[in-house]
Amino acid sequence: MAYEPKIIGFLCNWCTYAGADLAGTSRLQYPPNMRPIRVMCSGAVDSVYILRALLEGADGVFIGGCHPGDCHYVSGNYKTRRRMVLFNSIMESLGLDTDRVLLRWISAAEGKRFADTVTEFTEKLRQKGPSPFKTLWEV
Amino acid sequence: MDGTVKTGSRTIYELAVPGSDPEATLKKVFAHWLEEKKLDAILVPAISKTGAVTRSLVSAPEKIMATAPLLPAMGINGAGIIAEIAPDPGAKSKIGVLLRPCELRAVVELVKLQQVSLDGIVLVGIDCPGTYKTAQFLQIAEGASDFNNNFIRNQDAYTSDSRLRHACQLCEFPAPLVFDIMFGFLGMNPDEELLVITAGEKGAVLLAPTFPVPLEPRQDEPAARVEFINKLRRAREEAIRTQIRELDERLLGAENVVRYFADCLNCHNCMKVCPVCYCRECFFESDALNRNQDEFVRFSRSKGMVRMPSGTLLFHITRMNHMMTSCVQCGICEDSCPVSIGLSVLFKKVSRNAQNAFGYLSGRALEEPLPLTTFREDEFTTIGEG
Ligand code: SF4
Ligand code: SF4
Ligand code: FES
Repeated sequence: MAYEPKIIGFLCNWCTYAGADLAGTSRLQYPPNMRPIRVMCSGAVDSVYILRALLEGADGVFIGGCHPGDCHYVSGNYKTRRRMVLFNSIMESLGLDTDRVLLRWISAAEGKRFADTVTEFTEKLRQKGPSPFKTLWEV
Repeated sequence: MDGTVKTGSRTIYELAVPGSDPEATLKKVFAHWLEEKKLDAILVPAISKTGAVTRSLVSAPEKIMATAPLLPAMGINGAGIIAEIAPDPGAKSKIGVLLRPCELRAVVELVKLQQVSLDGIVLVGIDCPGTYKTAQFLQIAEGASDFNNNFIRNQDAYTSDSRLRHACQLCEFPAPLVFDIMFGFLGMNPDEELLVITAGEKGAVLLAPTFPVPLEPRQDEPAARVEFINKLRRAREEAIRTQIRELDERLLGAENVVRYFADCLNCHNCMKVCPVCYCRECFFESDALNRNQDEFVRFSRSKGMVRMPSGTLLFHITRMNHMMTSCVQCGICEDSCPVSIGLSVLFKKVSRNAQNAFGYLSGRALEEPLPLTTFREDEFTTIGEG
């Protein structure tokens, strides 16, 4: 079977999730590789969820949040941003791929940006090939 | 926030050392503080008649003789004890706590994490060129006389003593950063003088109106001390560079990372002894990640076979995400690991990089906010765009 990347998506209820909805109702085409999970804020996505997905076989993790300044809880996404910096720093220190986790700000009005983002991320992961953790059972 | 530490209000003194016995001099000072009711109790390292290398909370002045302020052994990071003693504000009593630089740094992090209140705590710092694991110490010190004093006299040995705890061999902060009062001996002749520095009121009141040993104000820290500390730090930086280079050969990449933690027992000792790991209930000890039997079968099917116990690497990398900005690199985690996983040099690397990403240094200042509790609107602006 040809490799198709499996992406776990954490979508903020107030923006990206609605953006995904809009992409659907607007009948925009994008690859079906992402399993969306609705969260109340991008700031609610602890690193443990990203890591669990990656270590247990996801090829990529996507986090969608409101644009800076637009977070429903005022500053959740600014903190998400700092946590992303920390996450990437740790991954780099361990020599692990930072390209498999993507954070993007997508508003409820940006259905096209959502579809484009999923398309682009899926394509990138297709080119990268499967995550090494997929076959490492001893993780 | 307790504003104990104002760099501007530091006052420096030279302390005479009667009888050329620095450890006895410190005890004399501590006993005096208890006698004069400057402190209600003081936390000091001690070694008991039964050979227990530990700490003691001393309230009776005459018991100070049984302590060992210069004991170069460390079994736990004392910041955890401070969290046990002083979790809440409003204490009416005053406790002095004699702590090493890495312990003081961890206390600072715990204050920011709202796990410690300094209301009734007086931070008494002391220079630290390194420590031994307790068992190691007992072995080395067996039969030796005046071991603790000799340890601070033979300062040339600090860079070559490979019996020091691994983290200490890589420690670049041998002098306290945050304190109310501190005692220094590095680069000095401790048989003749010790250095005393107070930072703010809380420290200053301990020196007046009476003091049991002659004190002489000084303009600056002795040049020899500054130079000695710089030299020690340069040597340690060199060791850090070498060891991180060696580490990278074994660590980098998915397969190597998995192998690095392959022996992990999932005992969580490293987390339990961590002075800055602050959650009352660790997420990894909760039911949050539990699977039932059927879910384990599904989990196994995801790869055909899976490691048991499961979730060890998830625990470690998540813990790094939670703790690396506050890690003080005391290395007690490695000392407590039953299978000797190389956590000291690993966390030296990972936490340094993590803290550098935010221009932060754990334990440097009470006023410096934790990286993950603050933000600026105009930073890291490329993230999330594109
Ligand atoms: S890590 Fe540094 S401050 Fe802590 S015990 Fe070792 S030498 Fe002392
Ligand atoms: S102390 Fe060692 S064996 Fe125990 S959880 Fe930590 S790394 Fe694993
Ligand atoms: S509510 Fe959407 S990122 Fe906070």
